[in-house]
Amino acid sequence: MDFLLNATSAVMATGPLVAMLGATLLGVLIGALPGLNPVMAIALLLPLTYSMDPLVALAMVAGIYNGSMYGGAIPAILLRIPGTPASIATTFDGFPMAEKGEAAKALKIACWSSAVGGIASALALMTVGPLLARATLHFGPAEYFWIAMFGMASVGVMVGSDPVKGVMAAVLGLLLGTVGIDQLSGQARYTFDQPWLLGGLDLVVVLVGLYALPPVLQLAEKCDLKGLSAAQLRLASVPFRKGEVKGLLPTWGRSSLIGIFVGILPGAGGNIAAFLSYNAAKNASSEPESFGKGNPQGVAAAECGNNADNAASMIPALTLGIPGNVVAALVLSALMIHGLQPGPQLFHQNPVLVGGFMIEMLLTSVLILLVGGAAATRIFAQIQRLPGVLLVPSILVLMCVGVYVINGRPVDLWVMLAAGTAGYLLEKLNVPLAPIILGMILGPMAEQSVRRALLISRGDPVELLTRPISAVLAVATVAMILWPVMKAIKRRRAKNMSENNA
Amino acid sequence: MERSQDLALGLLFAGLGLAAAWQAGSYQGAGGTYPMVLGLGLALCGALVMLRAARSKTDAPRRLVDVPANLVKALAAGVIYVALILPLGFYTASALLMLALPPVLGFRRPLYTAVVAASFVALVWIVFSLVLNKPLPAELWAASRLGG
Repeated sequence: MDFLLNATSAVMATGPLVAMLGATLLGVLIGALPGLNPVMAIALLLPLTYSMDPLVALAMVAGIYNGSMYGGAIPAILLRIPGTPASIATTFDGFPMAEKGEAAKALKIACWSSAVGGIASALALMTVGPLLARATLHFGPAEYFWIAMFGMASVGVMVGSDPVKGVMAAVLGLLLGTVGIDQLSGQARYTFDQPWLLGGLDLVVVLVGLYALPPVLQLAEKCDLKGLSAAQLRLASVPFRKGEVKGLLPTWGRSSLIGIFVGILPGAGGNIAAFLSYNAAKNASSEPESFGKGNPQGVAAAECGNNADNAASMIPALTLGIPGNVVAALVLSALMIHGLQPGPQLFHQNPVLVGGFMIEMLLTSVLILLVGGAAATRIFAQIQRLPGVLLVPSILVLMCVGVYVINGRPVDLWVMLAAGTAGYLLEKLNVPLAPIILGMILGPMAEQSVRRALLISRGDPVELLTRPISAVLAVATVAMILWPVMKAIKRRRAKNMSENNA
Repeated sequence: MERSQDLALGLLFAGLGLAAAWQAGSYQGAGGTYPMVLGLGLALCGALVMLRAARSKTDAPRRLVDVPANLVKALAAGVIYVALILPLGFYTASALLMLALPPVLGFRRPLYTAVVAASFVALVWIVFSLVLNKPLPAELWAASRLGG
C-alpha cells in the first residue's frame, strides 16, 4: 500500500486538485445534456492532454467520468430523457417523483447515491487492483499475448448484440493497429507511400472520429430547435427527512456490490449495473408494486449501481490491460499518449501514476456531493435551455481543434471525418465500435508478444500453450469465442424440440 | 432491409480482409504473417456475416439514417468546414460554421445564433490560443494584413 501513500501526495498538488474539480463540474454538465455522453467528452478531451502532466490528465478523465454519470440523472428525472445510457433505469422512478413535485428530492437522492456508488467502486479498485497486479508478475510474452486475445474476444463477444460482428470489429481494429512501420522488422505496412501513415493511424484521431461524430450527426438528425423552458426547470431545495438516509443504506450496499461485480466483467457497462441494481432493489422491497411509480429506492438503486461500475471497470484495464468498457479503453489511450504501455507491466512500472488515478476516482466521487448539490443542480438543469441544434457546430469545432493540435496535420481532420462517418454507419449496422479501438490499443502488444514468444521458442507455436497460465488463458479465449456458438446451437435444438413436440 | 444490408456489410469486410491479406503477402517474414492472418480472419468474419444473412428467413426493416436531409447537411457542413480551415484560418472557418449550420438545419433566431457563435469561438480562442498557446491555421485576414 506504499504506492497509495506516495500517490496521495502527488494527487494533493494544485494541478490535479483543480483538474478534478473543473472536470467533475464539466462532467455533470455533459451528462445533463442529452445527446452528449462521457465517452464523447473524454474522447474530445484526450487531444488536449498531450502537454499535461499525466496525473492532471487522468484527474480530468476521472472527473468527467464520475460527474457525467451523475449528470445523466438530471434530464432522466426532470424530463424522462436519460442523459447517458446508464441513466435509463433512473427514469423509471425519477420521473414519476418529478411528476409528484418531488424532483428536487429525487435529484438529491441521485446525487448521494452516485457518490456512494462511486466511492465504493474506487475502494474496490484500490484493494482488488494491487492483488491482481501482483499475480501478473509471473507473466511472460505468451501470457501477454493470450491476455490481449482474451480481452479482444471478451469485448468482441460481450459488447453489442451480435458476437460475430463484435469479433469482426475486433479483427478490424487489430488490422488497423498494424498500419505503419513494423516495430520489430522496420518495414512499412499498409502505408501506400504516404509519409503521414509511417507512424501508424493516430489512435486519438480515430477515437475522436468514431466516438464524437456519430452523436453529433444524431443531434443534427433530431434537430432540437427549442430547448426547454424555464418553467420546466424550476426546482426547490429539500433536506433529507429523519431516517431517510438509513432507509437507503441497504439499497446502497446491494447496488454497490452489483455495480462493482458488473464493472469487473469485460463488456458489461453502467446501464447493465443500473438495471440489475434496480431489479434487485425491487425484489428486496416489501412493496415492489410501488416501483415505477416514484419510489426513491428505485432512483437510489439505479444511480448507485451505475456509478459503482465506474472505477471497478478500471480493475482489468489497469492490471491486465483489458479495458472492460469504452471509458476504460479511453483511460488506456490517455496513458499511451504519455508514452505508457497498457498491460500487466503498467502497474509495476508506474505505481504512483496508477495509484494516483485510483485516488482521483475516489476524490471525484466525493466531489459529486459538492458540485451536485441543490443549487448547482439547478444551474446545471439550465443548460438544457440551449437548443440542441446549436451544439452540433460547437462540437464539430471542438473535435477539429482537438484533433488538429495533436500533430498539426490537416490530414488528421479528414481521417477523423472518415472514421466518424464509418462509425455512424457501423453502429447503425449493429457493429460495435469499442472492439475496433480495443484492437488498435491491444494489437501492437499482441503482435510483439506473440513474435517474442515465438523467437524464444525458436518458432514452435506449441510453446504458446505449454505454460499453465497461458494454457488457461488460451482455453478461456477459445471458450469465450465458442460460447455464443454453443448458445445458438442450444437455442436451435430447443426450438426444434418444441416444434417436434407440437 | 436488414438482410441486404448485412450481405453488403459482409461483402465489404470480406473484400477488405482479402485485400489486406493479399497486400501482406508482399511483406517479408513474420512482419507479413501477422497481418495476413488478420486479413484472412477479417475475410472469414465477413463471409460468416454474409452466409448468415443469406440463410436468414427474416428480413426486418432497419433504417440506416433517420432524417437523411439533416444528416447530409451536417456532413456536408463538416466537409466544407474542414476544407476551409487551411485557406480561411481556424477561427474564421469555425465562426462561419457556427453561423451557417444552425439556420441550414432550420434554426431561425439569428441574434441567438450570433451570440452563441461569438461566445463559443471566443472561449475556444481563450483556451487554445491564449492559455494553451497551441498553433492553429492562421487567419486569412491576419496573414493578408501582415503581407500587405
